[in-house]
Amino acid sequence: MSPPLAHARRWALPFNELALLVAIVVVAGITAAVDSNHSYIFDPLTSVRDIARNVALLGIFALGAAVVIISGGIDLSAGSMIAFSSTICASTMMLLVPQTMMNMQPVGLLVASAGVLAAIISGVLVGTLHAWLITSVRLPPFVATLATLVGLRSFARAFCGYITAKTLGGSGNTEINVYDPYFKFMRDEVWVVYVPTFLALAAFTYVLLNYTVLGRHLFALGGNEQAARLSGIRTDAVKWFAYCFSAVTAAIAGVFYMADQSVASPVNQGVGYELNAIAAAVVGGCSLQGGIGTVPGVILGVVFLRVVIDSVAKLIKSGSDIYEGMIVGVVVVVAVTFSQLRQIRASGGELFPGKLGLLAIPTLSGMVGIITAMTTANVPYLKGWDLVIGAAAGLLTLAALSITKWVESQRQSK
Amino acid sequence: MEAPQPIIAIRQVSKAFPGVQALKDITIDVLPGELHAICGENGAGKSTLMKILSGVLTDYQGDLILEGKPVRFGGTRDAEAAGVSIIHQELNLVEQLSAAANIFLGREIRGWLGFRDDRAMDEAAGRLLHELECDVSPRALAGSLRVGDQQLIEIAKALSLQSDILIMDEPTSALTEAEVSRLYRVIERLRKRGVTILYISHKLEEIFHLSDRITVLRDGKLVKTLNKKETTSKEVTHLMVGREIEAIDFGNQRKTGDVLLRIESLSIPWPGHARGWRLKDVSFELRRGEVLGIAGLMGAGRTELLECLFGAAAERPTGKIELLGQPVSFRHPREACQSGVALVTEDRKRLGLFAAMNVGENISICTLGETGLAGFINRSREWQMAGATSEQLAVKSSGLSAAITSLSGGNQQKCIIGRWLQTQPQVLLLDDPTRGVDVGAKAELYRLIDGLVRGDKGSGGIGVIMTSSELPELLTVCDRILVLSEGRLTATFSRAEATEHKIMEAATLRGAGFQPVNGESFGETDE
Repeated sequence: MSPPLAHARRWALPFNELALLVAIVVVAGITAAVDSNHSYIFDPLTSVRDIARNVALLGIFALGAAVVIISGGIDLSAGSMIAFSSTICASTMMLLVPQTMMNMQPVGLLVASAGVLAAIISGVLVGTLHAWLITSVRLPPFVATLATLVGLRSFARAFCGYITAKTLGGSGNTEINVYDPYFKFMRDEVWVVYVPTFLALAAFTYVLLNYTVLGRHLFALGGNEQAARLSGIRTDAVKWFAYCFSAVTAAIAGVFYMADQSVASPVNQGVGYELNAIAAAVVGGCSLQGGIGTVPGVILGVVFLRVVIDSVAKLIKSGSDIYEGMIVGVVVVVAVTFSQLRQIRASGGELFPGKLGLLAIPTLSGMVGIITAMTTANVPYLKGWDLVIGAAAGLLTLAALSITKWVESQRQSK
Repeated sequence: MEAPQPIIAIRQVSKAFPGVQALKDITIDVLPGELHAICGENGAGKSTLMKILSGVLTDYQGDLILEGKPVRFGGTRDAEAAGVSIIHQELNLVEQLSAAANIFLGREIRGWLGFRDDRAMDEAAGRLLHELECDVSPRALAGSLRVGDQQLIEIAKALSLQSDILIMDEPTSALTEAEVSRLYRVIERLRKRGVTILYISHKLEEIFHLSDRITVLRDGKLVKTLNKKETTSKEVTHLMVGREIEAIDFGNQRKTGDVLLRIESLSIPWPGHARGWRLKDVSFELRRGEVLGIAGLMGAGRTELLECLFGAAAERPTGKIELLGQPVSFRHPREACQSGVALVTEDRKRLGLFAAMNVGENISICTLGETGLAGFINRSREWQMAGATSEQLAVKSSGLSAAITSLSGGNQQKCIIGRWLQTQPQVLLLDDPTRGVDVGAKAELYRLIDGLVRGDKGSGGIGVIMTSSELPELLTVCDRILVLSEGRLTATFSRAEATEHKIMEAATLRGAGFQPVNGESFGETDE
């Protein structure tokens, strides 16, 4: 019962983190070997930089998503919050110096800072709105943040038109271009701005979750909300923090995406990103029931997701972005299935029980076959073989899953 | 006596939950047409066994043999199809549906073109309910009915299934005396039809009144199956407890000090309910060094009273609460904590434990702010404080880092009490603190409570209000006992004058204009 023993558990990397680390190395290794350009080997710096940029951008608001998930909630609005914050940032600069913005000139440090500050404040406001809807109006978090997911993007689009029409005249624009060198610097110097910001946020979140009272209260709230309230925890205040943190991280990501693309585009920026963040958190071991999750897990989840996406991009060469959603979906299903498997087995359950299991096997095999065929069709040196490879992959899956089912039913009948 | 073939044979059934062996090698024969009582203390495994029999739990070791054929239910539907129905202690009704819809839930009567035939269901339900002496309308919403009537709806459901075997899990725990005798008549009628009944209870009076044979479980193990005629309630008690119940003697009378808490005409409204209030005009006071017991049936308002004193009530109460002479009105449990009031909740798993956290974290959750500065947790200080509490209460665990779920019920309860002792409360509210706690741990908890009010742990003596669903427990531990019935205070007894019989009488008083049973009545009977 001595303190050193008590702390040992907290330092050991649990199974989930180790598995992710191994998976990342394996995927990167395969990509390095199979990629016809071998760019991981010949030009590692560029690849690492690309992955680091994407990891930092996704990681920033994945940390926010993870905090909300740990507190037992969900924030679906991150993608729209990104568009909203980049619009607020650009609109603020537009309002302050419309002529400079239009003439594509530098706006200066003061104006740029004002834009960033406005974006972060907009995050606090949206987080407060979420917390109010959830705690006072008693909407389920899913509904409250679904409303802002839909609403904020449209609001940002309208706001963009309104501000541009006010400042420049005419009927307003759907985008605001940003040419300021400070933002260009952010974009070009990945190691100076994006990555340190991400690491600082990760360190902040780590300390928060592990060494502060608020952090422990987040876990308590997610683990058992009733018990947390009855233990004298101000659950409403804890929720307010969680949703504000999530919205502010998305706001920071929004400023970075604006810098990355030199434009605030409410219609196109961050569409669907909220699901990537949630996916990264879940792959990283956060439980959607709440109360469970770690910062190292979330970071590894983000890295794994981005490495897999990058790997597919390297193999397919062109047009890989259409597969991004599919990859995220597959990664989530596979990762969560593996982590659930032990639990299902331990409780005597089956992965493919009864008729539903029987139906699931051909469905899964078919999907594996089609996905394999579609992706191999774009790999240069596999051209023409896509149908054969797809069929083979489908049949292999069918065989593997059927054997699993058979083994399970044998065990069950014993 | 030539033993007929058992209708159910339970063979070497075992079931383990994480950290607890709930059942171990249970073998029981249930004969057709008999009323077989299963009795045991809380946590003996009665309910677990019945959940296995009725298909609620499907994952266990061992065999069930139904009329000579081995069966393994994949769910409650399988069990119902095989003629086994259960009436759970916590009733399983869809409150928003009518009585008839509940009775036929999942087996709705179909009419023309396969559409639902509500009229036929209402008629059939009406007949069933009439047969059970239940005069509620089949169209009444299940949620609007009294607990006793809700229970009859469950029985009607079992009847409509033509079940041969009916399991009743502590059916009288929420019933008034009139409802209990009605239930007895219903049981008699069911037996005439040849229904086999498994009756779970720990109330010996009931068991001896109803049963043919009695099986005693203790700590998940089968102790013995007895014929009622060949045994006595003393023997059964002895078997249930596993040793002579030691008379717990707390020594000399406790000395009570100043008034800690004074409650005056406290009421809590209950919007949308026929009664209109959860509590009505309750007044009493609690002194330092005193254990005040609150007795009452399920739904009498015991939990609501404690939650209200802790600032956790769902509705805003009216009336006056004075803590140490200062009027208080807590809006949030946090305010109650800071003023020195602590509540150990009734449902440990749902309202008390953080299952994903370890023992130390469960103990320290209320006092994290005191470990470090500026909102940071000082881990070693946290562990030191939790360790001291865990030692003081003699929590048996493999260390502070052990999962809280690996502890026995009694030790989990000690952790939660320890959590609150760390806040150094003046008033400790204990809501059914020994629920799901084994006999040995119960005695330890009683001693702990006694020590706290006497203040010999250096805490200076506090006041305790506790509720319990077991009257002997209140009679053992408390200095005074208040009795609630349907939200009203119907009697107050001192330790000397309280008996089980008097308390039950006061707890089942109903309606307006009743006379207080004994002592002074604090409840205004203004209707």
